Amino acid sequence: MPETSSHVGLEAVFLANRERLLRFLAARGAGDAAEDLLQELWLRIAASRPGPVASPLSYLFRAADMLMIDRYRAETQTRKRERAWTEAAGGAQPGVSDTPSVERHIIGRENARLVAEAIDALGPRPAAVFRRHRVDGIPQRQVAEEIGVSLSTVESDLRRAYRALADLKERLDEG
Amino acid sequence: MPHDQQIREQAVAWAVRTGDPEFADWEGFTCWLEEDPAHAAAYDRVSLAVAEAAEMPPLPVGANDEDAVPPRVTRRWLGGAIAASLAALMALGVWQMSDERYTVETAPGELRTVALAGGGQIELAGGTRLLLEEDDPRFARLEQGQALFTIRHDQTDPFRLEVGEDTLVDAGTVFDVRRTASAMTVAVSEGAVIFNPSAQNVRLEPGDMLTSAAGSPDYSLRKFAPAQMGEWRQGRVTFENASLAEIASELSRATGIAYRADPGTAAQAVSGSILVGPLREDPRALGPLLGVTVRQADDAWMIAAP
Repeated sequence: MPETSSHVGLEAVFLANRERLLRFLAARGAGDAAEDLLQELWLRIAASRPGPVASPLSYLFRAADMLMIDRYRAETQTRKRERAWTEAAGGAQPGVSDTPSVERHIIGRENARLVAEAIDALGPRPAAVFRRHRVDGIPQRQVAEEIGVSLSTVESDLRRAYRALADLKERLDEG
Repeated sequence: MPHDQQIREQAVAWAVRTGDPEFADWEGFTCWLEEDPAHAAAYDRVSLAVAEAAEMPPLPVGANDEDAVPPRVTRRWLGGAIAASLAALMALGVWQMSDERYTVETAPGELRTVALAGGGQIELAGGTRLLLEEDDPRFARLEQGQALFTIRHDQTDPFRLEVGEDTLVDAGTVFDVRRTASAMTVAVSEGAVIFNPSAQNVRLEPGDMLTSAAGSPDYSLRKFAPAQMGEWRQGRVTFENASLAEIASELSRATGIAYRADPGTAAQAVSGSILVGPLREDPRALGPLLGVTVRQADDAWMIAAP
């Protein structure tokens, strides 16, 4: 069935702010690939057909930021696999983990325990603030209201949690 | 503090700020990133560590002292939307339901035109769902939203449109139909439409507009200015004595921007004609146009009567 379609909502904002988004992606680590990534970003957004959004421009920047985090995640996983491959030369197929799944499962559970410990070690309030905001997805201002502290206290609790988690990840990745 | 350490501290602070749905200083963030490529790298490391920690499966009960943690609710404000696995399918806006029936859907703020086999077309406004039948191009069902029908008339095979429990049958026609939770409205600009031929059997001529409340046989008739017909295609929406709740839902559908009526004055009615384009630049621009107040809440713009 022939049909024509035009996103008139987000797309108008996307087109009007193309240069700003491009500049953001380039600075965010995309470099020369910024143009291609902007294209990929729009395809992902169009495909996900988001419902009404309160701040279209913020939505686009955030989606661009998440795209870059996803790319970084994919790169680190590839690097880890390649390293494992070199170390266990001859052991496994490239791109296929030769770690038995039971062992991987145990490592996963062990990491979850270490993460929970690192968060709990911050104290009950920062731990609750982190979980409420990052796990439950509650905005920082609302978390502050729920717990009865100022927004800057919530931000400082979150900074402590982020620091602790970044430290933990560095230790785990080295180990 | 060593240089690396300093960059990491800044990255932590930015990650906390950008992680909040209310964060808006993307310009400032871009400037910080542009200062040094090491900034983006540090921000990536912190962001990924936090994202992975937040995605860890919860530990079994008793494995940890979680007394201080309030009960979990699963409310994500963005994450899932981008990653939705059905996304590719939905991008087409066409769902195959069975061999014969399929729906055509538009996202809020999206316009789409569907050409009908054998001539004629249907233009869908934003946030609209229409059910069509492959074997029968002379049938459609408007499940929600608004659409403008330009139908090739054939006396021997009239076009039938179902809207909730109502049926509209064309008699050579351009007509606009809108379905909301509370009512169905049909406006005719060319030809004629018969409303529920087997019940009320009302014939609508050009310039006639009929509104029927959902779940009720009652209806009201009035005249409308033909210039208003399908004006949503040019990005204009007109309200006459519409409640703020209705206005909020209509505007969300037309713009893709989340508007909500403040519960205190949601039933208050106002009139006005609005171009939706400027609202996409600044959702607050609605205020002076309708004489209402608009303020930003967590996940939507709240409209209230002053």
